[in-house]
Amino acid sequence: MKLLKLVSVDPVDRGSQRCRLGPQLMSALGLSVGSPLLVPVPMGTCLCTAWPRHDLAEGFLQVDLKCSSSGLMSHPPTHLNLDPGQLTPVPCLKLNRIKITVVVQSFEFKKHTPYRLVHELVKDMLKGVYVHEKYVVNLEDFDTEIIYVVIENTSPDSACAGFITSKTGVEIAGIQTVQHYRSHLQDQHKVPLGGLEEVSASLREMLVLPLLYPHTLRSLGVSCPRGVLLVGPPGVGKTLLVRTVVAEVGASLVVVRGPEVVGSRPGESEETLRAVFDRARAAAEEGPCVLFLDELDSLCPKRTGLSAPENRLVAQLLTLMDGMDQPDHFLIVGATNQPDSLDVALRRPGRFDREVIIGAPTLLQRKDILSVLCKRMPVCPTVDMAELAQRTTGYVGADLSALCREAAMHALREKSKGSGEQAVDMKHFQEALKFVRPSCLRTSLGRTDPSLITWDQIGGLDEVKLKLRQSIEWPMRHPEAFVRLGLCRPHGVLLYGPPGCAKTTLVRAAATSAHFSFLSVTGADLYSPYVGDSEKALAQLFRQARACAPCILFLDEIDSLIGSRSNSQTPSSVQTRLLSVLLNEMDGVGLKMLERRGTEKILQAEGAEENQTQEQLEFQEVCNKDVMLVAATNRPGCLDSALIRPGRLDQLIYVPPPDPQSRLAILRVCTKSMPVGADVCLEELVAKTELYSGADLENLCKEAALLALQENMEAKKKELITINQQWKPVKELELVKSMTK
Amino acid sequence: MSKPALTQLHQALRKSFQSLENSQTLWRSVLSECSPLLVSLGNLAEQSRALSNVQISNTPLRIFPDLEERLRFKLLQETDTVLGKLNEKMSSLQSARDAISNQVSAVSQLYEQNADSLDLLTVSERSATAPSIADMLEWLQDAERHYRQQFLRRKALLQTLRADNLSLLESAPKRWESLESSSAEDNITDILCKVSFFMES
Repeated sequence: MKLLKLVSVDPVDRGSQRCRLGPQLMSALGLSVGSPLLVPVPMGTCLCTAWPRHDLAEGFLQVDLKCSSSGLMSHPPTHLNLDPGQLTPVPCLKLNRIKITVVVQSFEFKKHTPYRLVHELVKDMLKGVYVHEKYVVNLEDFDTEIIYVVIENTSPDSACAGFITSKTGVEIAGIQTVQHYRSHLQDQHKVPLGGLEEVSASLREMLVLPLLYPHTLRSLGVSCPRGVLLVGPPGVGKTLLVRTVVAEVGASLVVVRGPEVVGSRPGESEETLRAVFDRARAAAEEGPCVLFLDELDSLCPKRTGLSAPENRLVAQLLTLMDGMDQPDHFLIVGATNQPDSLDVALRRPGRFDREVIIGAPTLLQRKDILSVLCKRMPVCPTVDMAELAQRTTGYVGADLSALCREAAMHALREKSKGSGEQAVDMKHFQEALKFVRPSCLRTSLGRTDPSLITWDQIGGLDEVKLKLRQSIEWPMRHPEAFVRLGLCRPHGVLLYGPPGCAKTTLVRAAATSAHFSFLSVTGADLYSPYVGDSEKALAQLFRQARACAPCILFLDEIDSLIGSRSNSQTPSSVQTRLLSVLLNEMDGVGLKMLERRGTEKILQAEGAEENQTQEQLEFQEVCNKDVMLVAATNRPGCLDSALIRPGRLDQLIYVPPPDPQSRLAILRVCTKSMPVGADVCLEELVAKTELYSGADLENLCKEAALLALQENMEAKKKELITINQQWKPVKELELVKSMTK
Repeated sequence: MSKPALTQLHQALRKSFQSLENSQTLWRSVLSECSPLLVSLGNLAEQSRALSNVQISNTPLRIFPDLEERLRFKLLQETDTVLGKLNEKMSSLQSARDAISNQVSAVSQLYEQNADSLDLLTVSERSATAPSIADMLEWLQDAERHYRQQFLRRKALLQTLRADNLSLLESAPKRWESLESSSAEDNITDILCKVSFFMES
């Protein structure tokens, strides 16, 4: 049969419960004019009466949604093609009694209108309407305060659909406001939330406890906490958390965004704020209610000066929070990412009683979030969530969802090219990782583009490589072994040695292989003409590095960056102050409150039956919480002695100028892409290049290639002919070497 | 094809449209009587507000004992009288509405009884002089719905007035005016024009 095209309803038919069909279809379905039928559409079903179209055309369908299932209220169907076979005529008897819930526009109306009047009005409105059990009747066309009527049940029970006459008894089970009703409708579309179980549990407890055990709490004489402050960096899911918890509990949510409240006229902002609190209070009378103040820092900055307009707003909020008389059902939740800029008066018990800190997600939390995000995506079984979680240090929830989206987009692009597979693969995630970078590092100072270097690209230096791997990679890869031996990972590594011996490259290779986040700072980032600015920048750098731990913080040329207290002429220069900041950050008293991440976990002996990977992940989460400082210098004598004591930079690794074997390896690496003549003997070259550093050797090859090019520009076969005898190793090299010995 | 059923239905439709026409005139006349009452209601509300704004003890009128209470009582009494009159008008509006409703439901019932003998072709058949039965049923329903809506809105407006909410009382005449929808009223006149040949035949 030909499909029916769903067209929007005529303005004349609005509120008439009519469904316009072609007359032939009507007779095919055995319908007479005005007989009831059910129209199923994807989001729900609608009950209406069949009428022939004015133009008697076939193939179109217009439905007035006066009585439909609740899913259709928020999502009216558009642009659909329906199979005419789905339309089903229903027998409708006259109903004896119905039980309904009335949904009204405003709380005022609910409060002031007597029950008798509502009953009278509703009865008049419902007369002549075909209704179905559990469906919603839309009464908006009457233009009164009564908007919807939800049919709870009908009698006689035999028929779930029926016709209301003037003799039908109407019983009102309850009256709700439309906000309350809509918020309950939204419950059905839950947003998934991963990795925030503890926080959401505590929030849920605060909401539900006064509802479930009001007597217990009253007998204990305690008043419930009425304010929660959520603190955390942007993108960790503060807003989502509140919405999810509210939906789970079935509370209604009143959202205030900071800028929405602020008005231009004096006194306007305060008025809006009062109105918001009134709204929340009204909603609280119907059930639990959460007043959510998003971006609280913009609403309530610190009170400064005498007559700033914000001061009045802050004062108004304070008085409103103190004046709440129904603390039981009405919880205020504030969210901010700059808690320090809030007014101090807000952060005391009685106002925001609890402060919940949500940090950047830890390894296990990231795994949870990823699995929640990937639940609705067709992900290949080969994708390892744990591996992905390890690769995404420093990513917050928003970044992870961007990552998944990007990966899905890659899969989509590949599919459109015609390879035909639907699933999102690990390689798509790897592609996406290149595009989506962690947002908590986005504004950071030392953010560097990770140019990937593998260990193989560095010739020689095997001993140094091993030491570096020991101190950086092993604690990450084998935390359980470290715990077993009672080892703790080193806090810092100092690489020293003559210039040009691949110190920087070694660090880069280490960062690449361990999948850490990698921050690198130079003097240009830190120094500033303002007093105290450099120290602040360094402290900030450490804070950010800790937020996305495990993280490598690389300070190149540390001797010039950070001074020494012993031999500097001016005792309170910038360098010395920076040094003190660095010492404190590396080995200070403790972390600031705001940097808390996840819950404090301690390794426990029991729980051995857990599977291996899970256990390893937990080990990693507990053990790798720190920032590793890696510094490089070629003047280790200039460093302050406090900095190189164990506990700070505890691994001192000497990167020597290459020995003959290393030089051979370096030359091999350097000449890999060059056409080398048959008469070139690398071993001979090695013997002649005593005290050449890695950089020197690379330059040597380059020079030789240039000479070859000079001799024969056109030659296809370029030959590395002789060693350029002009090139001598740097004199200083010997000097440095003697100094460091 | 059953001729008697068709003629019976036509008869009933004619009767309904006749009654619709009568009700329409009744409705209009009652409504025109309501407007002055509403205006006086708004006026009374204004007076009450003026009374609560003035401090009688500061005026020369303070020599009259209990003046404020007395005035308030008088105003309230007057408001009550006006509301009572409005209620009477409402009941005549209701009777007009009921007349239409009864006619329409009677016609629908008659159609439903004969629905088996009348196939859709007959029902949707139009001619130069007579609209189709489906159209006429639809128009009747539309008219009935219109009057029901109008009545309900006005009733809700009057019933939600409260003596302690002066601004609600003051705005009542304006809101009453705004309920008037001339286009829907014109629609009914249109309908009556469309069926005029059918009624005369």
